[in-house]
Amino acid sequence: ITSTNVSLSCISEMRDKLRKWREENYRNSEQIVDVGEELLNEHASKLGDDIWIIYEQVMIAALDCSRDDLAWSCLQELKRQFPDSHRVKRLAGMRLEALERYEDANKLYDSILQDDPTNTAARKRKISILRAQGKSSEAIRELNEYLEQFVGDQEAWHELSELYINEHDYAKAAFCLEELMMTNPHNHLYCEQYAEVKYTQGGLENLELARKYFAQALKLNNRNMRALFGLYMSASHIAASPKVSAKVKKDNMKYGAWAASQISRAYQMAGRGKKENKCSVKAVEEMLESMQITMS
Amino acid sequence: MAGPELLLDSSIRLWVVLPIVFITFFVGVLRHYVTQLIHNEKKVDLQQVSDSQVLLHSRILRENGKYLPKQSFAMRKHYFNNPETGFFKKVKRKVIPKNPMTDTSMLTDMMKGNLTNVLPMILIGGWINWAFSGFVTTKVPFPLTLRFKPMLQRGIELISLDASWVSSASWYFLNVFGLRSMYTLILGQDNGADQSRIMQSQMTGAAMAMSPDPNKAFKSEWEALEIVEHKWALENVEEELVCQDLNFRGLFKAEVQVSVD
Repeated sequence: ITSTNVSLSCISEMRDKLRKWREENYRNSEQIVDVGEELLNEHASKLGDDIWIIYEQVMIAALDCSRDDLAWSCLQELKRQFPDSHRVKRLAGMRLEALERYEDANKLYDSILQDDPTNTAARKRKISILRAQGKSSEAIRELNEYLEQFVGDQEAWHELSELYINEHDYAKAAFCLEELMMTNPHNHLYCEQYAEVKYTQGGLENLELARKYFAQALKLNNRNMRALFGLYMSASHIAASPKVSAKVKKDNMKYGAWAASQISRAYQMAGRGKKENKCSVKAVEEMLESMQITMS
Repeated sequence: MAGPELLLDSSIRLWVVLPIVFITFFVGVLRHYVTQLIHNEKKVDLQQVSDSQVLLHSRILRENGKYLPKQSFAMRKHYFNNPETGFFKKVKRKVIPKNPMTDTSMLTDMMKGNLTNVLPMILIGGWINWAFSGFVTTKVPFPLTLRFKPMLQRGIELISLDASWVSSASWYFLNVFGLRSMYTLILGQDNGADQSRIMQSQMTGAAMAMSPDPNKAFKSEWEALEIVEHKWALENVEEELVCQDLNFRGLFKAEVQVSVD
């Protein structure tokens, strides 16, 4: 329900929302389509030069929601304004991908690359096509070649680590995550993912590394519950292993006990003031006990 | 305050000071658009992009390598610096030294730069000097030595006049540099009317990007990487962590935010 007399403050609110979603890379496509469609249909004249980037943002969101009509109209506007732009060509390619016309999309991207071999966006789209078609080993190979030339592309490293994890090639996934950790040493999520991969790989050395990186993730962000659980699991696992020395066993049991106490504390704080608190705290204790690794 | 204060005719303000400001400003805006028209896209070489990224990667390894496990760091250092197969040792780029006199593309760039920037400045400076000569335009707010007199007071032959009083030509040059921030406000960053930046880039000249000599850059990066030692930052992380309780502030909220709003 839109009235033609929507106030200016409302319009600027919508613009700010779109900008926030754009800058922080949110993928809430349905909301973007809702807000963006209204903005573009009713108040296009008041948007000024912002309108082109909003067209791009709404078009990608529309492709996500299968709204080809909206995507097509956005694309037409952009084509009219920027007839020779590679950026717009890439959007056209994305639309072809959404329609599963992968051959045509590939041809389009190849033509961009012929014109400008350094265009990273087109290369990445080609790799996404391979991934969409399920050809993961080829996607991995292409992505490796891409990364040889564009070593600094963090998005690509993350994508590659995901591909490797899907293929259960944990050693290589760990390598990719190391790259990410190196370039973003303060990002607790990369530390935690790396620790999880190491934990999955198993083996005493990897468990120790996993424990260390879970601890680092916690140090960077005290509220990372997953890292806290990971710390508990890896410490208990090491402590339960028959091959460790007594000192290592003692240390790890200390870490594990500390982690367990922190987990209980967190759940107590969460349930503060609620009636179910006692039950949930007991449930946590039981859960921790059941997670105890017993010697096999 | 040395000497009596001069009282200038207010018509000077109306007919000299303000017009010079406007002329400088509009000429600057004109220069910006002309630069955009005759500017040609710089073709980026894939090799250059790749090389600069590799150098950045190596630098990050040096700075943040301490967050990686020892073995990973050693593996990467080895990749770069290994005497036989290391990247910095093995890869030698063919460098064609770009001689500014013979390289045609750089020559045309230089000429265009000169045309759009220096030429208007000279022309208009000269015209102002001719049109607005013989009187004092304004006073700079700080005292100047007598050395500045012949430079700033062209056309005014008064020995006893304070050097702070300047002619219109100097007011013009003051404007050229002073209106820089105005250009940024109106034309956005990176505009073609920004003369001081152009002059700066002309002075630093061929120091742009990696084109001069990637080999030298590789060599210096190799040396820097050789001397770096791996001191693991995570050595005592658990001990540091368990000595105090975790801070859960902000983890729990009364209403859980479900949607992105």
